[in-house]
Amino acid sequence: MRRFVFLLFALFATAATAADAPLLPVYPEVRPGVALAFPRDHGTHPDFRTEWWYITGWLKTPDGRDLGFQVTFFRSRPSVDQRNPSAFAPKQILFAHAALSDPAVGHLLHDQRAARAGFGLASASETDADIRIDDWSLTRRADGSFAAKTGGAEFALDLNIKATQEILLQGDEGYSQKGPDPAQASHYYSLPHLTVTGSLKRGRSSVAVTGSAWMDREWSSTLLDPRAVGWDWLGINLDDGGALMAFQIRDASGAPIWAGGSLRHGDGAVERFAHEDVRFATRRQWRSPRTGAAYPVERDLSVDLASGPRQWRITPLFDDQELDSRRAGGPVYWEGAVRTEGGHGYLELTGYLQPLKL
Amino acid sequence: MTDAGAISRQAMRWMIFGEWRAYPGRVIVTAIVIAVGVALGFAVHLINASALNEFARAIRTVNGDADLQVQSTTPLGFDEALYPTLARLEGIAGASPVFEMQARLAGTRGNGGPDNGMTLLGIDIFRAANVTPSLLGQSAGSSDPFDPSAIFLSQAALDVAHLAIGDSIVLDVGGRTGSYVIAGTLPAAAEGQRLAVLDIAEAQWRFGRLGRLHRVDLKLANGVDAARVRDAISKVLPAGAEISDAESEAQRGDGLSRAYRVNLDMLALVALLSGAFLVYSAQSLSVARRRPQFALLRVLGVRRRALVLQVVIEGGVVGLIGAISGLALGFALAQGALRLLGGDLGAGYFNGATPELAVTPGAGAVFLVLGLAAALAGSALPAMEAARAQPAVALKNLGDTTDPNTVPDSRAAIVLLATGVGAALMPAINELPLFGYLSIGLLLAGGIAGMPLLARLLLAPLQRRAGLALPLDLALKRLWGAPSQAAIALCGIVASTSLVIAMAVMVSSFRGSVEDWLTAVLPSDLYLRIEGGSNGGIPPDVQQAMATATGLAEIHFGKVSPILLSPNRPQVGLVARDMDLANPERSLALLGRSLPVPQGATPIWLSEAAMRLYKQRPGDLMTLPLATTNGAPAPRFFIAGEWRDYGRQHGAIAMDNRDYTRLTGDVLRNEGAITLAPGARAEDVAAALRAKAPPNLAQRFFFIEPREIRASALRVFDRSFTVTYLLEAIALLVGLAGVAASFSAQTLARTKEFGMLRHIGVKKRQITLMLVGEGALLGIVGVTAGIGLGIAISQVLIHVVNPQSFHWTMDTKLPFELFAIVIVALVVAASGTALLAGRRALGIDAVRAVREDW
Amino acid sequence: MQSAPANPPSLLSLQALRKSVPGGRVLFDGLDFSLKAGEFVAVMGESGVGKSTLLNLVAGLDVADSGSIAIDGVALDTLDDDARTTLRRDRVGFVFQAFHILPHLNLAQNVALPLILQNLPAHDATRRAGEMLAHVGLKGSDHVYPRQLSGGELQRVAIARALIHRPKLILADEPTGNLDPETATRILDLFANEVRESGAGVLLVTHSNRAAAVADKILQLTSKGLTQRD
Repeated sequence: MRRFVFLLFALFATAATAADAPLLPVYPEVRPGVALAFPRDHGTHPDFRTEWWYITGWLKTPDGRDLGFQVTFFRSRPSVDQRNPSAFAPKQILFAHAALSDPAVGHLLHDQRAARAGFGLASASETDADIRIDDWSLTRRADGSFAAKTGGAEFALDLNIKATQEILLQGDEGYSQKGPDPAQASHYYSLPHLTVTGSLKRGRSSVAVTGSAWMDREWSSTLLDPRAVGWDWLGINLDDGGALMAFQIRDASGAPIWAGGSLRHGDGAVERFAHEDVRFATRRQWRSPRTGAAYPVERDLSVDLASGPRQWRITPLFDDQELDSRRAGGPVYWEGAVRTEGGHGYLELTGYLQPLKL
Repeated sequence: MTDAGAISRQAMRWMIFGEWRAYPGRVIVTAIVIAVGVALGFAVHLINASALNEFARAIRTVNGDADLQVQSTTPLGFDEALYPTLARLEGIAGASPVFEMQARLAGTRGNGGPDNGMTLLGIDIFRAANVTPSLLGQSAGSSDPFDPSAIFLSQAALDVAHLAIGDSIVLDVGGRTGSYVIAGTLPAAAEGQRLAVLDIAEAQWRFGRLGRLHRVDLKLANGVDAARVRDAISKVLPAGAEISDAESEAQRGDGLSRAYRVNLDMLALVALLSGAFLVYSAQSLSVARRRPQFALLRVLGVRRRALVLQVVIEGGVVGLIGAISGLALGFALAQGALRLLGGDLGAGYFNGATPELAVTPGAGAVFLVLGLAAALAGSALPAMEAARAQPAVALKNLGDTTDPNTVPDSRAAIVLLATGVGAALMPAINELPLFGYLSIGLLLAGGIAGMPLLARLLLAPLQRRAGLALPLDLALKRLWGAPSQAAIALCGIVASTSLVIAMAVMVSSFRGSVEDWLTAVLPSDLYLRIEGGSNGGIPPDVQQAMATATGLAEIHFGKVSPILLSPNRPQVGLVARDMDLANPERSLALLGRSLPVPQGATPIWLSEAAMRLYKQRPGDLMTLPLATTNGAPAPRFFIAGEWRDYGRQHGAIAMDNRDYTRLTGDVLRNEGAITLAPGARAEDVAAALRAKAPPNLAQRFFFIEPREIRASALRVFDRSFTVTYLLEAIALLVGLAGVAASFSAQTLARTKEFGMLRHIGVKKRQITLMLVGEGALLGIVGVTAGIGLGIAISQVLIHVVNPQSFHWTMDTKLPFELFAIVIVALVVAASGTALLAGRRALGIDAVRAVREDW
Repeated sequence: MQSAPANPPSLLSLQALRKSVPGGRVLFDGLDFSLKAGEFVAVMGESGVGKSTLLNLVAGLDVADSGSIAIDGVALDTLDDDARTTLRRDRVGFVFQAFHILPHLNLAQNVALPLILQNLPAHDATRRAGEMLAHVGLKGSDHVYPRQLSGGELQRVAIARALIHRPKLILADEPTGNLDPETATRILDLFANEVRESGAGVLLVTHSNRAAAVADKILQLTSKGLTQRD
């Protein structure tokens, strides 16, 4: 459940009100009990309102420095008149975003692409992961590995991403509830412990990088509770081979409306967290000198596991991983590389400057 | 008896190869001089083309305009399949499809009724955001970007439709109508441009043109060669589509980039002329040295023409070698410069973009030919002069044939300079300052022709002084006695110095004027504009309330409205603002002084364009067709002054707020210039100002923060200027190389003189000192003349070439630091090379030197 | 001195020659002179009297105020510069006080130059130059460059160059002026022998009695003209 989707929702929410009764899309509802099948479900699900391929991870440069990265592709189906035969009719919108966290830079570098699907310039396959927007792409190769290519003025990533573990179905066999109403849900699976090799180009110089990553796949038509102002999400690759994911959706007071997550142990056993099992506590806030927003960048995540309560202390790679995308029409949020005892991952904090509008 | 007057081939071969074998160093120096001249010219040209690509793109990026456009030649448009084809071409960073039709308000007739037509554009906002951000609408609130009923109108379109944001509008395109809600405005649309923008899919469907496009706006990747991309585009264009030149020319007509081009062209000229003069001086020296040889050959029966031919062939071969290596050197130089700049200025605006070197074989050939021509001309002129000399005299006389007592002939110089000044006063031909360039050439030639006399004049005070130390005295006597040899040595210095100085003065004036202009145009911290403003605005009570907003130091309200002065010209902007009547220069970027206003007259100030277009002068009286209160006759105004306004090319007229209100009764204002209180944030102040206004008005507020615009514009300029500074440095280095070459050649030619001086008891040290003195004196004379001539040429550039090219004046700003650097560098280089060459010459055995024939 | 036309026709004939220097001073006026083939005449006179100018006039390198000069019956004032140059190239040889040997040509090339200017093949020209050099006592030094030679040697080269193309008229301007007395004597003897052998007429300008002594006839140049001296 991620920011841009919500932004796009916010933008598209006002349904067209043309005089001659437009034919608007009907979005399917996410229901439990739908079995996921691969590689079909790596591909897009165009009927749903929104969908994403979300890769976050840590990279190491040849000189041994740690970097965080994020490569995301979104698809959205706006509420427009389905009768329009124009090839430009915005029936599917593709959006991609890439960000780089380098402690030496001290803030995020990021870039994005957006386009209407069509003309062979922007497309998403329905049979396997194959999403392209101009020169950016995320594709799944015959050997099962993913190739991600993004390029921009400040940096370019060309990554080879390989799964080392089974697909992790989140929630109830891939049905992940996001709010008190069972209709507020998504189809959700994760690919933790991905190994990454490839190159990072900055300016004119290119370096080889290696690392580990986490991919989230979600598609949905209705996600958020109306009271929600923001959410926190955390995904950690644990050194023992385990994978930890936790999220919470907050209301205006900061209290959780809904929470959830999962822990797959190193031995493959999966524990799924109920709403009340997950608690995020703030250890340290960082205030952005640019926007004034205060983010809980150091946190304690407590989860009631079957074996008893367990706590992870989350610390960021560096504090200033705030992204102000207001100039490009996006929100202000914090998303960055974090570590915990025995693990590395990514933390996402949204809705801390102002509530995300629905 | 023999063949048509030519020297036999064998003899010519002997003479040429003998000379080269005997003095390979001199041949190499000449070749190097030509190589450097060609290299400089070619490098400037290459960087020029590449930097121009980059600069033009930078300017357009600031303006938010497309780099290139592919346009339909008919209203039917072309097949939309062309769009992905174009988007995939190499070198294209973005392609934005555009559906373009002429629309008018439904329910009105095109003929008879008022003209309410507007251009309707259907765009894909994702693509336009990347390629033509100026076409993006600014909505009052957040709205659905794909809402098919949303439409954005430019100010002029709103005005003609008498509508405001939130109103409904029904447009008629060729009989099909579409009904829309005005979601916002197009703040970046040009003034007076009637534009409506909606979603491209809606436009195609609603107006029955599915599958057709009228335009694809293109953005080029950083650093690519625009010409190459054009070629690639033209290969895929179907019938009915063309690369739009008219459109891009109009954008390129933008004064800044055009001025920049004129100036860079000038720099290429600098390089070329310096190179030619260096060749000339090098060849002159070589010929002067060989004068007795030529005389002997004449005595032995070689004809004049044959002699000239020999020297020209010599020069031609050396010139060809030099020119070819010059091309390679120039290419390397340009590439190095671009790489260096790309690396240094990577941060910020350009994000490490390296301009791609635009290689043009045609230009290479031109520079090859020019280098060769310079070598041939530089050889032929002195050779002809040598051939004309009386062989009997030349055989005896090794040095200058001028009598030290005769005053150098300055008639040619005076004629050249006078013609040069005359040419500067001539008008442009076809908008090209051809006479201006001619004038520069003539001034340069005249200045150089006048060098012997000038050298005399400058040396005269020293010459008259008795009791100078022996070395200095000898140095002076020689320069005094051999003014034309001195002039040859000076030629290169004067040519390169004056052109470098001319360029530097112009560039510094150019940058200064741009900076002043930006400051004058955008002096405040924040600007407020009101959408839909020309038919309304902020009433006085709201103005007062807004003035009390927190974080505000000052706010000045103004009104900008269009008025039609002449039926066959576009509207002029009438700008009412708070004028400081005692010091109008504080309120406007005035050119010259503002005239004192006669008792009872109402002052106005015209922009440069308004002055020129309506043929007015300061002090004239002018009638403006203002809608006056109580139907009084149109008032007459006193034109108090002229101001610089690059924003409104059709002209603008400024007047004081109070006069405007008194005459028109209009108290509403649609502009505000805001100074922030110390520490206040622009966003907070903007919010505070909105809060003070009624919501329906506040909704139409549009704030612009100029600091960013100003900073980024200057960054663009500085980057561009860095290129010119670098080139100036190179030109100066060539000048120094010329000094070194001519000086060492002259010094080596004088070994006999040094031998004689040693014989009669002059110490080595004294000869060395004499040479250093000569060098320094020559350097001083050369650099003085060069700077004087350079400033004169810069005035031609500033007052003739630039205004004639792009109708824009600038104020002269002298870069004194550069002058100082040039003076020191040249004097040190001249005396330094004199010293080094002298050391070498003195190393030769004095006795043998005397016995040597030449 | 007589001005009557000789039979056979004179190799060189000057009639009523007048020459003044730019300052206006008249060097000579009404000068008449003729030189027959094979005749060796020395012209003496004080410095500045116009000896060299007289030679330059004869060579067509300078122009007289009035009067006429004819070489081999061809009047110089009827020729343009190119024709005068050709005449000089083919029929006149020069020896100078300052030698004027081109430093960047070797000795054979220097000597061969007049032949080359007459478009003789280089091979023949340099071969003959070698013979000529041997004649003046520089056998085997064809490929030597002038830099390495003494003054006397240089003048030998100059003499070889003056004679190689068998000119009918040889003009010599103070050929021993730059040499020490001993060398001068040897060079003068060589010069006299060589020109006599070639059968050319010689006009030698000098202020040295020793030099003049090798001539058949010695004339004194004054402002009044040329007068015989014994």
